[in-house]
Amino acid sequence: MTRPDKSNGSSAATNGAAAKQSRKKMRPEAPSRFYGTALPGVKVEELSGTLFVLEGTDGSGRSTQISLLTEWLESEGFAVQTMGLRRSFLVGQDIDNLMAENSVTRTTLSLMYSTDFFDQLERRILPALRSGLIVLADRYIFTLIARSAVRGIGRDYLHGIYEMALRPDLTFWLNVRPEIAFDREFKKAQTISYWESGRDMSLSNDLFQSFIRYQSLIKREFEYLSKRHGFIELDGEGSVSEVNRVLRKRIASHLGIRSTHYQPSHALSHLWR
Amino acid sequence: MAITFPHIPAAEETAPARVATAKRPYPGALVVVEGIDGSGKSTQLYLLKRWLEIGGYRIHFTEWNSSPLVKSATRRGKQRRLLTPITFSLLHAADFADRCERQILPLLHGGYLVLADRYIYTAFARDAARGCAARWLRNLYSFAPIPDITFYFRAPLDVAVNRIVAGRPKLKYYEAGMDLGISLDRAESFRIFQERILSNYDQMIETDNFILMDGTVRVNKLQKLMRQIVGERIDLGQFAPKKK
Repeated sequence: MTRPDKSNGSSAATNGAAAKQSRKKMRPEAPSRFYGTALPGVKVEELSGTLFVLEGTDGSGRSTQISLLTEWLESEGFAVQTMGLRRSFLVGQDIDNLMAENSVTRTTLSLMYSTDFFDQLERRILPALRSGLIVLADRYIFTLIARSAVRGIGRDYLHGIYEMALRPDLTFWLNVRPEIAFDREFKKAQTISYWESGRDMSLSNDLFQSFIRYQSLIKREFEYLSKRHGFIELDGEGSVSEVNRVLRKRIASHLGIRSTHYQPSHALSHLWR
Repeated sequence: MAITFPHIPAAEETAPARVATAKRPYPGALVVVEGIDGSGKSTQLYLLKRWLEIGGYRIHFTEWNSSPLVKSATRRGKQRRLLTPITFSLLHAADFADRCERQILPLLHGGYLVLADRYIYTAFARDAARGCAARWLRNLYSFAPIPDITFYFRAPLDVAVNRIVAGRPKLKYYEAGMDLGISLDRAESFRIFQERILSNYDQMIETDNFILMDGTVRVNKLQKLMRQIVGERIDLGQFAPKKK
């Protein structure tokens, strides 16, 4: 079940009637709905699929978990579609290019990410949900809101833009301390990226300090978002198999899958630790 | 950096129009022209610009052209017809944000008189005609400074549409609103789309303090009026060349 927003700010307040109406139409186990105004031309009752979101900073293990969950769900007979940041055909590549330059400003970058998000939502995710697929989102609007908010863009402004996003059925937050995320990221890439350490914010010339301070700011935004949107918070510092077990349990109960037994195939066994 | 999470009240149904005399956090001034294609706004702004340029005033002219940063995405989206009303709107907002943050705002803070051919009201009128919610659009562009003067050039639909259709061999897909599926005939679709935009503009005359300019009045007569209004509402001395 989706938990209701605790303080839904602008969207719920001004769209109370619309929200009430859509709630009335929904069956108890019905999948998703919008935060505020619905996207033009979308009928909520047509969306028979389910949207699960995994949020968490780099190094929180999201991608690993999504690979494993995809395999498990497919073995259970569910078709899976995934989404993530900068994966739209429309602007995915353009954002990469923008980020490679240093002339892009915060609002432009933020809105390019929104374009990327809505392009994926409208042209890939909604069709998948209409066809009854399971959508696994590797990050969602919450990362986009958090990153922009720590750069000084208003939270209400950001929630206003994303009020036409679908409310996920379940949002998991893989919470890890910035220090642990640093260790994991460094092991993976042997360096720390410009954006993940928030170097555009001039927090510190020391890369480690910059990373820790930036990720701490992001984490505080997530704590706020978690309360506002009812995240399921998981200890992202646990082992892959342990985190995966908890995820499977919650997802299985949401989808009515009886057995949560899963052993990764040979192809994915290297992720299992 | 300290972070607080204040309770922010819900956004207004429609953003309150601020009065033209509001105190601004910058020494510059912003004059905007709006109106549908063929309303004569660009000609009039050009003449206003020439007048100020010849007088040696500290001005900058800016128009709603794609910034290089966002251009490739816009081109791809339009060529392949990938844009939905929402992504069309967001991409143009990203484009405008680039112009606003890297051009308009620095110029206003630097004490320029900025002349803009089309501004956020273009997006309000056009994107609402595509079906985007007005409240969503108002929020999307809330980072933009409110103009000191917004001239709204209004010409009857037939006059404006004929000016455009006569001068252009082929109307572009999105320009004609073909994505809305109103009509398979481009000229017909363009006309209906422009009619919707015109009606959206009309609704903003009061809420956004537009100065209504009759696009059918003779060019030089209209320009005289425009210069007079600018002189009355803006302290031009502030932008005048320094006397040696």
